[in-house]
Amino acid sequence: MNLLAQVDPKTFWNATNGSSELFIKLALALIFGIALATGLMFAPPQLRKWVVRVVTFVSGLFYVLFWLFPAPISRQPNDAPRGTVEALSFFISDSQSVVASLTNVIAGFLIGLGIYSLLRVHLGKIAKQQKDWFFSAVLVISMFLMIFFGYGDYIQRQDPKNFVLADMKNWGWINYGRDLLFDGLLQNMDAGMFSVVAFYIMSAAYRAFRARSIEATILLVTALVVMLSLMGVVELMWSGMIDKISPDNPIVQSFKLSAVSSWLRSNVQTPAIRGIDFGVGIGLMAMGLRLWLSLEKTGGDS
Amino acid sequence: MALVEPNPNPSFLEKLQSIPKPVIYGILLVVSTIPLFFSVKLPNKPIDASIDFYAQTMKLPDGCKVILCSDWTNSTRGESKGEMEALLKLLMRKHIKFVLLSIGDTQAPQVAKDTIREVSASEVASGGTPYKEFEDYVNLGYYAAAEGTILAINNKVLSIAKGKKDFPEGAGPKDALLSPVFQGIKSVSDFNMFFLVTASGTNRTILERITKCPLMYMVSGVMVPENTSYYASGQLKGLCGGVKGVYDLETIMEAGINNPGPDLIESDKYKGESIPGWKGKTNKGKGTAYYLALHFTLALLILAVVIGNVGMFAAKRRAK
Repeated sequence: MNLLAQVDPKTFWNATNGSSELFIKLALALIFGIALATGLMFAPPQLRKWVVRVVTFVSGLFYVLFWLFPAPISRQPNDAPRGTVEALSFFISDSQSVVASLTNVIAGFLIGLGIYSLLRVHLGKIAKQQKDWFFSAVLVISMFLMIFFGYGDYIQRQDPKNFVLADMKNWGWINYGRDLLFDGLLQNMDAGMFSVVAFYIMSAAYRAFRARSIEATILLVTALVVMLSLMGVVELMWSGMIDKISPDNPIVQSFKLSAVSSWLRSNVQTPAIRGIDFGVGIGLMAMGLRLWLSLEKTGGDS
Repeated sequence: MALVEPNPNPSFLEKLQSIPKPVIYGILLVVSTIPLFFSVKLPNKPIDASIDFYAQTMKLPDGCKVILCSDWTNSTRGESKGEMEALLKLLMRKHIKFVLLSIGDTQAPQVAKDTIREVSASEVASGGTPYKEFEDYVNLGYYAAAEGTILAINNKVLSIAKGKKDFPEGAGPKDALLSPVFQGIKSVSDFNMFFLVTASGTNRTILERITKCPLMYMVSGVMVPENTSYYASGQLKGLCGGVKGVYDLETIMEAGINNPGPDLIESDKYKGESIPGWKGKTNKGKGTAYYLALHFTLALLILAVVIGNVGMFAAKRRAK
């Protein structure tokens, strides 16, 4: 067992536990954070736009450099950089996990923001008894019930004395409450909502999947072959028939449902999807560039 | 396109193109529900992608370590839960330890944890050993920033577990990095496989960023076409898709690959190799339970499309 596997090599982003270097870094980060937040609060709106643009550009630049700048190869934990290029390369590589943690923390704030926004909208609706306020009440009550029972159950289960909770016989009302709300209601409603799609697919296929043109007919036949190939019984019967006609002729054998559907997947579907993906990829790159350089104004500050 | 004038006295065939929605919904409900009450072993020929998935999992050394990213919730449990159960059975039988994480949905870690508990109990019932959180698998929970986290896994895997706590039941929170699963791990390449069970778009997030560890995916049926292109290019070592994929795995778990016997499953790719199955264990699961329903539903779908087209042609013919 290599217990030293978790010991980090020294980088810009860490310091030894209890060392003065660690405390200096923490203090500097705190001062910088407070200064930045205060500065933003008092900054005029025009300046804020530029702050957002600069932060967006620097954030994007980091990942552009991460992908395009030469990455360190066969780097050992205690290797020192040789020259500026290698130093930058090491810095980018070491920083990525810190940037990832930062983005996770920022994304975590969204939960708080989401709860605040949800309560603001729905409590307002309830207070003013606006249209459908009853549904807002259901939403708010459900949220608080889920928090109450979920957290209560979690706290109980973490107690080392409560290992007996693995057995349902030892559950209390809070465990049953959480089970009813999460597993009994939420999870099943989730599955129920998604199952409804099957009805729409069936209805849409029946009404819209018609051989009105040559292209539609090709699509229809292809879909039927692929669907039939997913049915083991049909596949077996068809293969048996093909084997009876000519068990050794490779041309006849290639008309087995599995062979036809496999050919369709490899030679028609996959290239088509790759083509679409190329198009989507180029579009995403263009959109990414526009966002990175703050050229995209839709929904923004214009 | 010329519109066909509605006929005041439509024939039976013409009426076929305008069956009321409630009737279609009712038939679908009956056809997809009744087969769930019958356990029928249907003939099956596993596809190459499923065979590869099983073979590559079986080739993992016993007791090795893998990453399991679980990004499904109960909305797709018909497919994803069966996939997860089949994978967990294989991992548990080979005593493979795994790191569990989610990047797709906040509910996913709890759903995965519940499934692990269920599969562990079923394996114990059939003579296996229980799988304990923290000891046999470590749960890192949900990561909100998917792209950055996956990149960090590829770049510096231990960094994503730093400061994370695992919460095994009845044991109190523990530092995830102290779990036996992480011992000896320095890089993502120390993991033998990166498994993803997903019903969302996290497949690309991982595919684009994990370069130092082989990948295998378990996806929902609608995601199969998209992921087949990555399987075909060799970026995925194996692919299990939808109910058919689960049934394939359950069939192979029973018979093995190129294993002589009454249910022989042959594979040219693994010619000369005999990959054993797990006869005598509880291999049947959601795939076996739902495959008959899938058959009936697909048959109904095909029938609906055919009936609709027959009605359309009948109406066109009359209009001429």
